[in-house]
Amino acid sequence: MEHLTAETLAGLVNEVAQPEEAAHLAECQVCRAKLDDYREQTEALGNLPEIVPPRGDWGVLEARLRSEGLVKPPGAFEKLGLAQTPAWMKVAAAVMLYLGGTGTGVVLAHNDKPQALGEMAMMSDPTMFANSATVDDAASAVRIAEQYYVSALARYRELMLTESGGQPGVDQMSKYAALEHLAAASQAALRQAPGDPYFNGLLASVLGEREATARMVSRKDNWF
Amino acid sequence: MENISAGMSERRLIMLAADGEARAIRTLYDRYAPRVYAVVRRIAGDDDLAQDYAQEAWIRAIRALPTFRGDARFSTWLHRIAVNSALQALRKSETRRKREAPIPDQVPVAPRGGDALLQKQLERALDVLPEGMRRVLILHDVEGYTHEEIGDTLGVTSGTSKSQLFKARAKMRDLLSSLSGASQEHGAEAWSI
Repeated sequence: MEHLTAETLAGLVNEVAQPEEAAHLAECQVCRAKLDDYREQTEALGNLPEIVPPRGDWGVLEARLRSEGLVKPPGAFEKLGLAQTPAWMKVAAAVMLYLGGTGTGVVLAHNDKPQALGEMAMMSDPTMFANSATVDDAASAVRIAEQYYVSALARYRELMLTESGGQPGVDQMSKYAALEHLAAASQAALRQAPGDPYFNGLLASVLGEREATARMVSRKDNWF
Repeated sequence: MENISAGMSERRLIMLAADGEARAIRTLYDRYAPRVYAVVRRIAGDDDLAQDYAQEAWIRAIRALPTFRGDARFSTWLHRIAVNSALQALRKSETRRKREAPIPDQVPVAPRGGDALLQKQLERALDVLPEGMRRVLILHDVEGYTHEEIGDTLGVTSGTSKSQLFKARAKMRDLLSSLSGASQEHGAEAWSI
């Protein structure tokens, strides 16, 4: 008896057998066993697993993507290795930077006998922030507002020392006014650069501080 | 900047990646790199070539992302790019890998159920299969292409694809038999799965 060829058997894995082939298979156990092997081989090939790329493959690819301009340049947080940092941590980082700068400013301003800049902040025109036409203008407005805020804090400290005989205290109304302007400036900056993490963090911290100050004011000036 | 996470919808990830967001591209890469690498590795039959082919496939895919309209699944679309890219690179390759070169001892495979020894033998046999047979066998039996699709991809008729496939299966069986060191005489047991 002549057996079916290897190629014929390989083809019968998913082809319909011709009548003579079917007849042979019905009688030949050897060919049936071979055909079963081909079927199992084909099934095993279809179930081969994925293959893990070599370590470092992404680094090479990323470099190529960047060199071809297919990837945006990294942002500030990515440069700092904080790309995967949750948003709340970014805000916290911004707050820390902001408060650190503020504290330094308070110390410096206190030594320079600051004037009543909190009052200046209250009198200044908020539209100077809202009408900023460029990111640079908006950033400048934020810096000015920050200076107002720092100076206002220094003024609070000065007033407190004067009024309470040396105990630290705060003029919450002036502080609130300075925070209002700082919030307006931050919002103006964000209109120019909506995705900027610093301005977002700054605005979040300012709004939080403003709310806290408002609560302090309402408790202090409880006219009813 | 939008917070990109593994749980983000694929459509959104693709949009961000098309816009050049590195972390979105990285997320897609992490998700599909093993699949892309697997197909190009098997087509290439060689680790070094496979790395080059995989890189090229990803570059092409990222470049083409803005044209992805979602008509097919992203994985299917990416897979086609990987296959075409690897096949094209293979054709262009002037220095073809010498088949008598030592076969890599290990192809790092992703964890999955099944017979690890058999999978290793299959991978090694694929590596030493003649190139024309290997391409058709991989596309049909591993990747699930039809003969018509293979014909379109390789520029041959579906009849040629079938003929090559049957030869490839037969050759594969011989290779597996020799790898397992058994007789080929009606050797169902030689490499029995």
